[in-house]
Amino acid sequence: MRKRSILLFVMLLAFWIFISEGIDILHILVGSLAAFATVWIWQDLGPRQPSIPSAKIFLNLIRCLILLAWYIVTSCISVARTLLFSSPPPSPVFVEMETPIRTNWGRTLLGTCITIAPGTVTVDINPDTGRFLVHALTEETAVSLLHWRIIREIENLEKLMQGGS
Amino acid sequence: MIKFIAYICFIGSFISFGLSTLGLYKFPDAYTRMHALGIGDTLGVGLIGLGLILLSPDWILRLKLIVVLLLFWIINPTMTHLISKAGIIRGTKPAEETKLMKE
Repeated sequence: MRKRSILLFVMLLAFWIFISEGIDILHILVGSLAAFATVWIWQDLGPRQPSIPSAKIFLNLIRCLILLAWYIVTSCISVARTLLFSSPPPSPVFVEMETPIRTNWGRTLLGTCITIAPGTVTVDINPDTGRFLVHALTEETAVSLLHWRIIREIENLEKLMQGGS
Repeated sequence: MIKFIAYICFIGSFISFGLSTLGLYKFPDAYTRMHALGIGDTLGVGLIGLGLILLSPDWILRLKLIVVLLLFWIINPTMTHLISKAGIIRGTKPAEETKLMKE
């Protein structure tokens, strides 16, 4: 716990120095204060931090992100087409969907992926049942969301993480 | 050549933000408007970031821009989710045509 706090402090300070304009005593002092305050305020989250991922998990995550980038581009085109060419206004849909993802980080990752792709917004996630309430711009988008490949990818990641821990 | 690609990125970003603004006027309710804004927030910001990365004089600046982009892409969907959830909790009504679909 203490080791993790120190590691987090060092990482935050390194990040602060990296994004700062220059390295001087003032920047280091303010950065140390900010990093210390962040570690102190979020210390309760320490035990819930996942362990350091293996190379296989990291590669799977990269594959998931590449897939997401592709979805973002296609979703942007789809929303732009709806915006420019749908003569009656689109009929939006609230979808209640169940996913096989069980962990909190997996649900958070999926919720973020859904929201970052234009055309779908995660409105709510039930922490007990894991049901997602998603707002989709069109019915077509809602149906395609139910068969999203990223859901399977995150499920695989979850299995790898559980196997590794 | 790199300058040319960067300018294409800036034009793409300009079009994305233009479409987002058009969506604010054309779409019927707050929830659908968020989808339109998503074009500018993801593709628009991504393209402007890519253009700036291409024009950057050194690698430190490029890395900083990549970090800014990553942070933006993490914070942006979180805030969108919060706004939509606040809308539901506070009773903001969706457009009349909105349907409910259960899996």
